[in-house]
Amino acid sequence: MGKNRSTPYLLNLPSLFLLGLFFIGLSWLLLISFKASSPSGALQTGWTLKQYFRFFGDQFYLKYLWPSFHVAAFSTLVTLLLGYPTAYILVRSTPLMRRFLTIALLIQFFSSYVMRIYSVMLVLGNNGIINRFFTWSSLTSGPIKLMYNEFGVAVGLTLGAMPFMVFTIASVLESMDTTLESAAKSLGANEFKTFLEVTLPLSLPGIAAGIVIVFLYNMSAYVTPALLGAGHFDMISNFIYEQALELMNFPFAGAGAFSMLVLTLILVFFLNQAFERMIKGVSFK
Amino acid sequence: MKLFPEKIHFREIRLHFYILCWLTLLFISLPLVIVIITSFNASSGVNFPPVGLSLKWYGNMIQRKAFSETAQLSFFLAIITTLFATSIGFLSSLAIVRYRFLGRNILNAIILSPLIIPEVVTGLTFLFLFNRIKMNQSFLNILLLHILLALPYSIRVISANLYRFNIALEEAAMSLGANRLKTFLLVTLPLTKPGLITAAIFSFVISFNNFTATLFLVFQKNTLPVEIFSYIRTENDPTIASISTSLILITVGLILLSERIVGLERFTR
Repeated sequence: MGKNRSTPYLLNLPSLFLLGLFFIGLSWLLLISFKASSPSGALQTGWTLKQYFRFFGDQFYLKYLWPSFHVAAFSTLVTLLLGYPTAYILVRSTPLMRRFLTIALLIQFFSSYVMRIYSVMLVLGNNGIINRFFTWSSLTSGPIKLMYNEFGVAVGLTLGAMPFMVFTIASVLESMDTTLESAAKSLGANEFKTFLEVTLPLSLPGIAAGIVIVFLYNMSAYVTPALLGAGHFDMISNFIYEQALELMNFPFAGAGAFSMLVLTLILVFFLNQAFERMIKGVSFK
Repeated sequence: MKLFPEKIHFREIRLHFYILCWLTLLFISLPLVIVIITSFNASSGVNFPPVGLSLKWYGNMIQRKAFSETAQLSFFLAIITTLFATSIGFLSSLAIVRYRFLGRNILNAIILSPLIIPEVVTGLTFLFLFNRIKMNQSFLNILLLHILLALPYSIRVISANLYRFNIALEEAAMSLGANRLKTFLLVTLPLTKPGLITAAIFSFVISFNNFTATLFLVFQKNTLPVEIFSYIRTENDPTIASISTSLILITVGLILLSERIVGLERFTR
């Protein structure tokens, strides 16, 4: 096509305008997080780390960080445990099963997140199907508390992130060279051994990507803790929202947002490093 | 003799995978089934099993002005977001796939970055920015946010499509005497159509459903997800179940239609 040097830049102009706007806002927010604000919301002159000290120094704010990490990590593991077999069946089963699974997952993927969490509330609530069953079968004397706690949030996160995990792993399983599996089998390995020593190691990149994507997604959850935690279990996003919109404290909200962003990215970086070493360690001699 | 227990192992693992797969299916689909059943409940509590059958929550859904107004706003927003995100995404994809230019890799990374930035951070950034530059047009602000959120998906899908088709087809058209515009309209555009349709569907869904980032920018009028959210927090009747059922029906229709037009594989990769 065109040989004109400026053409690619012109083509990117609209995208760059939008991304530029976003990054200007982001940098501005970062700057503001190093300012002190008076109770009226006005910014004071001079730079300070006060907001960050406040965030990491105070038990009250720190209590958002650990539970967020805990529930995000736990849900990511459960999502992997359920998502890997689902991805495996999706790729290696009959076309009918594949279509069925894809549609079921796409319904989730295309549906409003708020609505999906609402549907979980109907299942876990005091009048929900699980508690109805428990009371009806006299397993418990009354309804047991399945939501408005960490358990409920974990269920919501696991359901919410499932399509990402399954699709990410499935695309790696799909592009996998199946001749290696056939080779292992023809050399005498049974299917179990083939799975454990060929398929699983080869799908590590998918597992790694799935874990990273889902963990990032879980760490930044807002709707799930807002509806299934409802004040009894908050995550960092709820804290940031509260600071920004209820207290109009932009410097503190900004400090919380960047702490969350940086901590999550550091974690993801180390996770990636660990996975890369594992993937490199996989060799066939 | 040695093979026997191992064979059982294999059967076990495949069986376990099937069990876990069905468990996952049940886990993700059961709540939606419960929602559909609840929407026909005659009592005002969210009971299961339903006390009686009734369509009154559907009536309530239609009567409440807040729902129809916010649904219209969300639909309108999603349509405009789709138009912009798809066309802007197409232009960027053309640049990324067809040109080698300075800063191409950096641009590629920057374009995908809204995907890894938490939605609260994106929402907070836009709220802060628009607040500072005194831009109080709620609709325009949300529109800019939605286009930004849809752009990474749009560009990924369209550039995947552009990478796949044979550039020789364009060269052939040109060597046969078609000018640039004609080549673009008669060769490039039709061959990119599936990618453009997929990008459009993604953009529409992202805009129509977005909640967390949008929550930071709603002042004058709520979008539908925000309205649903605040209704769940304040009321406790199955009206939301009937809205959800309607949305599930539309979603299933959209998926079956997409399968016909472009195939489902485009959405899952």
